[in-house]
Amino acid sequence: MAQNKKQSASSLCTVLDPRGQPTMVVKPLPLAPRLDTLEGKTVYVIDVGFGGGWEFLEETVAWFARNKPGVKTVLQHKRGIMFVDEPEMWADIKQKADAVVFGVGG
Amino acid sequence: MASARFADFAAQDAKNHGMNLHFSFPPYPLVGRPREVLRKYVEGNDPISGKPLMPQVVDALIRPLTEKEKHPKAARGRPRPRLLKPDTEENLHKLFLENGWTDGAPVVLPTEERVAHMLAGTAADPSEVVGQMTVTIHQERLEYTVEKVAVNAVMAGAGPEHLPAILALAASEEASMPSSTTSFGRMAVVNGPIREEIGMNSGLGALSPFNHANTVIGRAWTLITINLGDARLGETFMGSTGNNMNYNNMMFAENEEQSVWEPFHVRKGFKKEESTVSIFQGWSAINSMGAAGCCRPAQEEMLIIMQAFPCLQAALTLIMDPLVAKHLKEQGFDDPNQLSRYLSENFKMTAGQFWGSDVVYSLVEPNARNGIEPYASWLKLPKDAIIAPYIFPEKINTVVVGGETQALWLTTDMWHTKTVSIDRWRPKSGVYKEGEQAARRRHARQKRHAAALHASGYDLK
Repeated sequence: MAQNKKQSASSLCTVLDPRGQPTMVVKPLPLAPRLDTLEGKTVYVIDVGFGGGWEFLEETVAWFARNKPGVKTVLQHKRGIMFVDEPEMWADIKQKADAVVFGVGG
Repeated sequence: MASARFADFAAQDAKNHGMNLHFSFPPYPLVGRPREVLRKYVEGNDPISGKPLMPQVVDALIRPLTEKEKHPKAARGRPRPRLLKPDTEENLHKLFLENGWTDGAPVVLPTEERVAHMLAGTAADPSEVVGQMTVTIHQERLEYTVEKVAVNAVMAGAGPEHLPAILALAASEEASMPSSTTSFGRMAVVNGPIREEIGMNSGLGALSPFNHANTVIGRAWTLITINLGDARLGETFMGSTGNNMNYNNMMFAENEEQSVWEPFHVRKGFKKEESTVSIFQGWSAINSMGAAGCCRPAQEEMLIIMQAFPCLQAALTLIMDPLVAKHLKEQGFDDPNQLSRYLSENFKMTAGQFWGSDVVYSLVEPNARNGIEPYASWLKLPKDAIIAPYIFPEKINTVVVGGETQALWLTTDMWHTKTVSIDRWRPKSGVYKEGEQAARRRHARQKRHAAALHASGYDLK
């Protein structure tokens, strides 16, 4: 029995973990407060630029016009490409909009 | 909103960032779908939640936040211990495979002894931080030391002589397979004396699997990307078809000896005696098969082949046999920059062809909308107007490689991202030398080849 234990221990192998270390730099942010109602509010609809997104969001805006006529929608392109954050755009939206629909990812 | 194909990815992204965003998912795909189909998507259900899409969007804007949404926490990874739990070799191989820590082929298990031997290949301290990497901007980057890079080099089957080149690739902090649904490919080209010192192939079949150094350095970059760049299929890596360049990343050495032009790294500001690795990114390569310069000059054939690419970055890289470079020099291209200028000036396509590419629409049209020239003017042109979209000759690069059995080249849509030093990672005593027998065989091959060229009178050097 003792010999078996010794044999099995000697056949074990110790290897290094190949994975990188998490950097833990992400700072979580709370979501913006929600609105009580969309009636009379302005919703910005931002196209991030993936193919088909603009046409889909045009239909989204048309849905609001048909079903929520009290909501003002503003459809616009994100200024730069989809992979780059745009603090100026968010500052502008905070000033002019009550809510944002952002898409369409993928 | 994100299309339904990316629901898992979006949820993972939100979890990692502690952002409980209110997602809604229309069906997929959106691109190329007729207007009436898109309208049905808007009026239909979110296929993930099963609820009507637009009422769900409205609800997302007015539903009061939960405490979790007001005070989010990121799901952070825990620090990983240096060693894994001891186990049998068989079980460890299974563990590596099942955890997605390999490229699917068997790896060499990174035991402490093997990693210590690998570290003899560099003067750098094992604990030195080399960099951080991620395959996607949506994830936090992972940090890695020299030892972590050595672990992945062992797994790839590399020896200590290959470690400086592998560390240089890791220090670039560029993933070999950045996550894109379009499935990127990469290329890495080594220049300088280290090519010879570690026995890299720059000649016959250099891009095929016949050379230890080319094979393991390229493979190590992929394993580094998987383990240190956190590439996980369906979670961080979303390339739809994938790209078989990802196995080895077109790793080769430039054939400086047979090239009639300056080595690539010298053109990028390095000295000839420095050793470097140059990194490229793109998607694809087209062989010029059937165009050996007999019926039509190579430079004219290149203009025809270039029509296949969407000209996203206005960049190309030509990978050419030394014979092609010699032909081109005979045609008057004394240096490759002249060829770049020729291609930049003479390649033409219609504005309609240029803007009709989805990827150009997504990534170049924002420049036009922002008034950046010449894109702003091009966007106003009629579809049949002719433009010369390769506006940056310096982005058309040329690398010479091959064994002079055929005067052909590869036209790639690769753009050069950076060239990094390998010498910074060399051990003070010099890199490990290849085995005597292997070196003897290689030198004999080179001698026979040089004699054959000399006899043909075609050794223009």
